[in-house]
Amino acid sequence: MSLLSSSEGQVAVRGVGIGLRAPHYRELLDSQPRAGWLEVHSENYFGAGGYDLHVLEQVRSRYPVSLHGVALSLGSADGVRQRHLAKLKRLVERIEPALVSEHLCWAAIGPRHFNDLLPLPFTREALDQVVSHVTQVQETLRRRVLIENVSSYLQFRASELSEFAFLAELARRSGCGILLDVNNLYVNAVNHGFDPVEALLEIPVQAVAEIHLAGHSADGDVLIDDHGSRVAAPVWSLYEAACRRFGPVPTLIEWDTSIPALDVLLEEAALAARVLQAEYA
Amino acid sequence: MRELETLQARFGVALDANDAGSEALGMFVGGSQQAGRRLRIYRGNTLANAARAIEAAYPVIAKIVGVEFFSGLARQYRLRFPSQDGDLNEYGESFAAFIADFQPAAQLPYLADIARLEWQVHRAHYAADPASFDAASLAGLTPEAQLQLRPQLHPACRILHSEYPLARIWQVHQDAAEGEFDVDFSAGASHALVYRPHFRVEVAQASDADAAFLAAVREGRTLEAALVAAQACDASFDLGRALNEWVASSVIVNFKLNGG
Repeated sequence: MSLLSSSEGQVAVRGVGIGLRAPHYRELLDSQPRAGWLEVHSENYFGAGGYDLHVLEQVRSRYPVSLHGVALSLGSADGVRQRHLAKLKRLVERIEPALVSEHLCWAAIGPRHFNDLLPLPFTREALDQVVSHVTQVQETLRRRVLIENVSSYLQFRASELSEFAFLAELARRSGCGILLDVNNLYVNAVNHGFDPVEALLEIPVQAVAEIHLAGHSADGDVLIDDHGSRVAAPVWSLYEAACRRFGPVPTLIEWDTSIPALDVLLEEAALAARVLQAEYA
Repeated sequence: MRELETLQARFGVALDANDAGSEALGMFVGGSQQAGRRLRIYRGNTLANAARAIEAAYPVIAKIVGVEFFSGLARQYRLRFPSQDGDLNEYGESFAAFIADFQPAAQLPYLADIARLEWQVHRAHYAADPASFDAASLAGLTPEAQLQLRPQLHPACRILHSEYPLARIWQVHQDAAEGEFDVDFSAGASHALVYRPHFRVEVAQASDADAAFLAAVREGRTLEAALVAAQACDASFDLGRALNEWVASSVIVNFKLNGG
């Protein structure tokens, strides 16, 4: 896998980073706060040029950058959309990010794209498909990618594996890394009724290369992964458990709805850094 | 058909359906009531994501018709033109054609043209950056040789023609707009020039002569040919004034030597 593990010339991602969204562009560039690294949604930079890419290139010269895709639809039964993959490749070549990641989900079938992270049936058939698609993406981008567990509200009866057994097999067979979203794990544990700490034990330690933290909200008996608030107390506890198991994995604070002042994200990042250091020491 | 494909096709149909999606609910763990409730979360997400994309591309239309009418427009649009791409910045291309056909919007006949303009503004935001221009390379050219240069438009530049004062309508609906909120709808047909100085997309009204000149430039014609086209509209067209203004505002970003 020497082709895929090569990351020469790229700045390593370390410690705690924050998700960069457009409302914070100006303040971030002006104040250049201390942050381990920054992550953006790849699709927001798919244009040929313009302001967003201009900002990202400036950011890239000051911070390690991670490109996090939200719409490649790796789980589509009818394959990866080549045009989308070509745009991602163009962006990766332009930015030379420290990390590239996507989600374990699907979003498109036939001509239709739902622009959401839809749950997969965790079947052997789906596993073969996703392994083949992740392999195709890694070969196209000529690098290893990280795949993230998504939050979900529905589970398929057809599933033969747990979500994390599926993800572990995907990592083993494709060589991809795992982006463990601790908030998604907690949300799913509540929504589907399982023990999230036990689920951590299904995840191979060496494969985890990034952790996500975010806030969620409740709608009746369902937790909604809306990235619109501070990280919840039970998610912090689960994060402590994850740090004990996986070590000092680069961690990201994400915020996507009701985006607060940049300082609030930096405060959350400081909290995560304290956990990361305490649990690993 | 393979199972994964079948499950995804059925899930997709249920997401686009207006009813409870009862046929698909059996695929999911839990009773049909719970599955139905949770399916609606996904349905809401996909609708909201598409609506946000339309809102981002058409802020002036949203201001003109108001939030409530606009969200209805976006919902109806999505039913007729569902998203087919993971890049939501490309979603909404047919909004102008949709509005032109949309009966409840018929009282605002200029709305479809505003949508046409806003789509060009939206795409201009993501257009390629121009290569840097080295003015020194043109030094020493004779006036005759200068007229054989081919001006190059910024990749974000577009010119639209409308029966309505498009540029003025767009300008008074910008957040930064100051002064009188007045649009003279009797002003007649006009051209709107979309351009992007310093990464910020702007819209300005252009005269017939300006539009003729820039259309010739877009076709790759020489300065001389573009000047002839402009002077055919307006004999007093001032080439020096126009070029200074367009180079300063990044409408024209380069001059290529003939054949180069």
